[in-house]
Amino acid sequence: MNELQKQYPDEIRQILAKYPPEYKRSAVMPLLHLAQRQNGHVSPSAIDEIAEILDVSPTDVVSVAGFYTLFHLEEGGRYRIQICTDLPCALRGAEHFLKAVCEELGVAVGETTPDGLFTVEEVKCLAACHRAPMFQLQGDGEIAYHEDQTIEKFRALVNDLRRHAQTHKEAA
Amino acid sequence: MAVKMVNLTIDNHPVSVPAGTLVVDAAKKVGIEIPVFCYHPKMDPVGMCRLCLVEIGRPMVDRATNQPVLEADGSPKISFGPKLETACTTPVSEGMVVLTENDKVSEARKDILEFILTSHPLDCPVCDKGGECPLQNLTMRFGPGESRFLFDEKMRLAKQVPLGELILLDRERCIQCARCVRFQKEIVDDPVIGFSQRGRALEIVTFSDPGFDSIFSGNTTDICPVGALTTSDFRFGARPWEMNAAASLCTHCPVGCNLTINVRREARAGGRDVIKRIMPRQNESVNEIWICDKGRFAYHFTESEQRLTEPMMRKGSELVAVSWDEALQAAASRLKKAGEKTITLAGGRLSNEDLFNLCQLTSGLGGQYWMHGTMGGGDLLAQVGVGQGTNLGEFGPGSAILVVASDLHEEAPVWWLRVKQAAERGATLIVASARPTRLDRFAKCVIRYAYGEEVETVTSLVPEYKTDVSEAICAGIQGILGAENLVVFFGSDGLGLEGTTALAAACMELLVKTNHFGRANNGLIAVWPNANTQGAFELGYRPAADLASRLAEAQVAYIAAADPAGDDPALAEALRKTGFIIVQELFMTPTARMADLVLPAQAFTEREGTFVSGERRVQRYYPAVRPISGPRPDFQIAAQIAAQLGFSLEERLASLVFQRLSEAMPDFAGLTYQQLAMVEEQWPLIGRHDLYFGGTGYDNHQGLGVQLKPAAQRLEPLNLPDVPELPPLQAPEGAFLVVPITCLYDRGQTLLPTSLLHERMEKPAIYVHPKLATRVGLEDKQSFQLVLNGISTLVQVIFDENAPEGAALLPRSVGVPIQGPALAQKEIVSG
Ligand code: SF4
Ligand code: SF4
Ligand code: FES
Ligand code: FES
Repeated sequence: MNELQKQYPDEIRQILAKYPPEYKRSAVMPLLHLAQRQNGHVSPSAIDEIAEILDVSPTDVVSVAGFYTLFHLEEGGRYRIQICTDLPCALRGAEHFLKAVCEELGVAVGETTPDGLFTVEEVKCLAACHRAPMFQLQGDGEIAYHEDQTIEKFRALVNDLRRHAQTHKEAA
Repeated sequence: MAVKMVNLTIDNHPVSVPAGTLVVDAAKKVGIEIPVFCYHPKMDPVGMCRLCLVEIGRPMVDRATNQPVLEADGSPKISFGPKLETACTTPVSEGMVVLTENDKVSEARKDILEFILTSHPLDCPVCDKGGECPLQNLTMRFGPGESRFLFDEKMRLAKQVPLGELILLDRERCIQCARCVRFQKEIVDDPVIGFSQRGRALEIVTFSDPGFDSIFSGNTTDICPVGALTTSDFRFGARPWEMNAAASLCTHCPVGCNLTINVRREARAGGRDVIKRIMPRQNESVNEIWICDKGRFAYHFTESEQRLTEPMMRKGSELVAVSWDEALQAAASRLKKAGEKTITLAGGRLSNEDLFNLCQLTSGLGGQYWMHGTMGGGDLLAQVGVGQGTNLGEFGPGSAILVVASDLHEEAPVWWLRVKQAAERGATLIVASARPTRLDRFAKCVIRYAYGEEVETVTSLVPEYKTDVSEAICAGIQGILGAENLVVFFGSDGLGLEGTTALAAACMELLVKTNHFGRANNGLIAVWPNANTQGAFELGYRPAADLASRLAEAQVAYIAAADPAGDDPALAEALRKTGFIIVQELFMTPTARMADLVLPAQAFTEREGTFVSGERRVQRYYPAVRPISGPRPDFQIAAQIAAQLGFSLEERLASLVFQRLSEAMPDFAGLTYQQLAMVEEQWPLIGRHDLYFGGTGYDNHQGLGVQLKPAAQRLEPLNLPDVPELPPLQAPEGAFLVVPITCLYDRGQTLLPTSLLHERMEKPAIYVHPKLATRVGLEDKQSFQLVLNGISTLVQVIFDENAPEGAALLPRSVGVPIQGPALAQKEIVSG
C-alpha cells in the first residue's frame, strides 16, 4: 500500500479535489510539498508513490521536483540556506556573502554542518534582487526571506536557530 | 474536403502549401534549408533552441479601410517585424515573405550556435555521432569559427551515464532540445526519461526500473542532434563514414520494418564484414522512420559463433562433417526413394524464394509441404487481407481499427505505435482481449472476454446478429457502423492453431458482413509469429493440426528454418519414427541434433530475398555482408537437390527465383524485383545531407515494396469459411488453465545470441493472478514443477494483477513448450 496515502489520506483527498480527474497530474506540486513536509526531502519511494497516485511516470515526478529549488531529492540539514547568486545579486556582492557564510559554518556549498542543522545552497533569482545579498531559509515547514544581509546579521540568525533547535528537537 | 492552400514567398521562391504548414516545413518542401535542433517533423514544435530564426514579413493592411497597402508599383507593401521569428513555430499565412539568408539571420544563427557551444565538450574525435552530427554539420555551415567564451568555464558533466543497459548518456553533449523526452512521451507513450534541474544544470534523468524502460529507446539516438545519446551496442564501434549501408528488412515480426544495415570490414574479424548497427530506413507506409529495440539490437544471431558452417551426415551415431556434394547426393537419393512419402516442413523465417523452391521440389516428388507453426488463417488474408494502398498512417476520423487477441506492443511494436497514433488522430480503436494491454488507454471501447470466448466476441460484433449484448459490444458495433474504413488485427494471444483459425474466420465474416474488404484501408491483418509467415501462406504452406502423425509416417522429413523438436515434445517424439530427417538451419537446434543430414543455411544478412508482411506488402532485402564460407541460401540448396533429381529449379539468383514465382502465383502476377525497388518522395524528407531535420535514420532508395491485391480487390468471388465454435475452456478439479502469450523479448534462437538484451528477456515463468494462485496453491516468486501435456518443467510464479483469474499466462519460446491453451498441474513432489 501507498505509504503517503496512508499517512495523509485527508490531505491527499483535499488536494486531488482541486483538479478535474483527467488533469490530476497537476497535483504533482502540492503532493511533492506534502511528501517533503516530514523530513525535508522527497525520498525515492515517495516519488514512486506520487507517480502512482497521479498515474504518471516516476520520471515525470522527478523532473518537476528537479526543476524547482524548493524541492529536495536528497537529504539535507534541518535548515536550508539558499543564497541567490544570480547576476543582479552578484553585482551587490552575493558571492562574497556566500563565501563568508560558508566560512562561518565551515562547509562548502551543498554540504551540511556536522550537527545536521544547516545546508548551504546556491540558487537562481528569488525576485528580491533589489535587497541583495539575500537568501531564503527553508526549514521546520516554513520558508522565509532574509534580505539586505551582512555576515553579522547572518551570525545572529544562526545563533537563534541553534538555540531554537536545542529546545525543539523536532520540527513543529 | 479541399485543403486551403496558402501562397507565400521564401527567399523569393513562390511557394504554395496547405494552410497550417509551418514555415520550416514549407521551406524544406522547396529545398530551402532552415537549420533546426529542437524541431522534428514528427513532433509538435516547441521553439526551444532558437536556431531556426528567420525574418518574416506580412502584407500591410490599412486599418481604416481593411484594404492591403500597396507600394508605388502596385505590389503589396510588406511589413517586417522588429525581431526574427522561429520558423518552427510559425505557420504560413497568405502573402508572407520569409527571408532565410540575410545578414540578420546569419548573425542570429551564429550567435545561437556560439551560445550552444559555450558548454559543449567538442569531443568530436571520440564521439559516436562525429561525421553524422547535426551540431557538427550546422556549426561548420553556419557557426562562428571561434568562441568568445572562456574554455575554462565550460560545464564539466558526467560523460558515461547509463540510462539503462541499452542507452548511454553523455551529459556534456546534451544541448537540451528535448527531442528525446518528447519522443518518449508524445510518440511512444513511455515517459521514462525527463529533464531535471534547469538552466545550465539541466540534465536527462530516468527513474524507471530497468533504466530507460522503453522498447523504442533506440530511436532517441537517431533523433538526438548530438552525441548525447548513444547505444551501448554501437558505442565506439565505428565512424559513420567507414561503414557501408545495405537495405534490409527486420526479420523479427510481421510488421516488416525497413532497415539499413551498417557494415564495416574489420581486420580483427579476419577481414570479414562486421555488422556495426541496424538503423531504420524510411517507409511511411510501414515503419515511418522508427523501429523497435528488438529490430535494432537483435541481429547478433547472424554473426554468432554457433552458426552451422558445414554439411553434416549421421555416420553411426555421430553427425560428421561431409562435403556439399556428398550431402546433396545423400539428400537427393533419400528423397527420390521416399517420393510421395516426403514431407517438407518450413518456418516463417524463410524468404519467398526459399519457400517457393522448397515447395516446387516437394511437389515434384509428389510429397506434401507444411508450415511449422501454431497460428492459422493466412489463407483468408489472400481473400480479404487489407487492400492495396492501405496505410495506417492515413487513419483518422471516420476509420476504425479492431484489435482482437493480440498484445500488439509486445508482438508487433511498430503496429502498436501506428495504431496508437491513428487513435490519437481520431480513428475509432476497439480493443478486444482477455487481459489489459497497452493499447487499452487509446481505445474508444475495450471489450474484455475470457480466454476461449474470442470467436464468440467477434461474432457478436456483427451488427446484424445483434442480440442482447453487453455495453462494450454495443459500443464496438457503433464504432464499426460509424466507420468508413475498418481494419481488423487478429493475433494468437491465448490461442493455438484451432483457435486462431476459427478466429480468423470470424474476423473475415465480420469484415464481409459490414462490407469492409476489397479496398484500401479495409481488411484483415494477422499478427504472425514470424516475418514471412504470410509469404508461406501465399505460397500454399499451411500449419497442420496432425503434424505429428504426418511426420511419424514420413520416410523423409525435410525441415527448413523450423525447430519442431525444440518447440513441441510431441513432434520430437514423432520425429523419432520418421525414416530420414534432413534439417536446413543456421544453428544446431534440437531438431538438427536428431537429423540424419544437416545442411547449413545462409543468414538473411548474407543474401537477398523478399518477405510478405502481415499487411501483405512484398518487400526486398539486400545482401549486407559477404557470406561466411560454407552455408548456402535455402533456395539454392533446394534447387541443387532438385538438379540431382533431374528437375530444374532456379538456383542462381533470388531475383530469378522470384521471376518464376510471380509467373506461377496469380497473386504475385507481374511483380518484379525492379518494381519492388521503386521509391517515391516521402515526407518528411530525411537523409544523409539533412540529418539535422529527421535524424540519422536512412532515406529509402531501395524500394518501398508492393502491397498485394487481395482476391476481393481483384473482384473475385469470396469463399466464406464456416466459423467453427471453440470448445469452452474449463479446468477440472486439481488442474488449471494455462494459455500461451507472446512477449517481445523471448528466448528464441534469433534473440538469445544478443547478450545485450539478456536482462530484459523473459524467464521461464508463468504469470498468475493472485486469486488463481491461491486456488491452486502457488505463491509469488515460488519455483515449481509445472506439468503441461505430460511434460514437467521448473518454472517460476510471478503474481500479476493483470492476468485473468481464469487462466495463467505462459510466454512462448522461453523454454516451456506450449502450443495452445492447455491444462496444467502442479507436480506434487513427494518426500
Ligand atoms: S539528449 Fe539529445 S535529444 Fe535529448 S535533449 Fe539532449 S541533445 Fe536533445
Ligand atoms: S516492430 Fe517488428 S519488424 Fe519492426 S523493428 Fe520491431 S520486431 Fe522488427
Ligand atoms: S538575482 Fe538574486 S534575487 Fe534576483
Ligand atoms: S526553436 Fe525552432 S528549431 Fe528549435
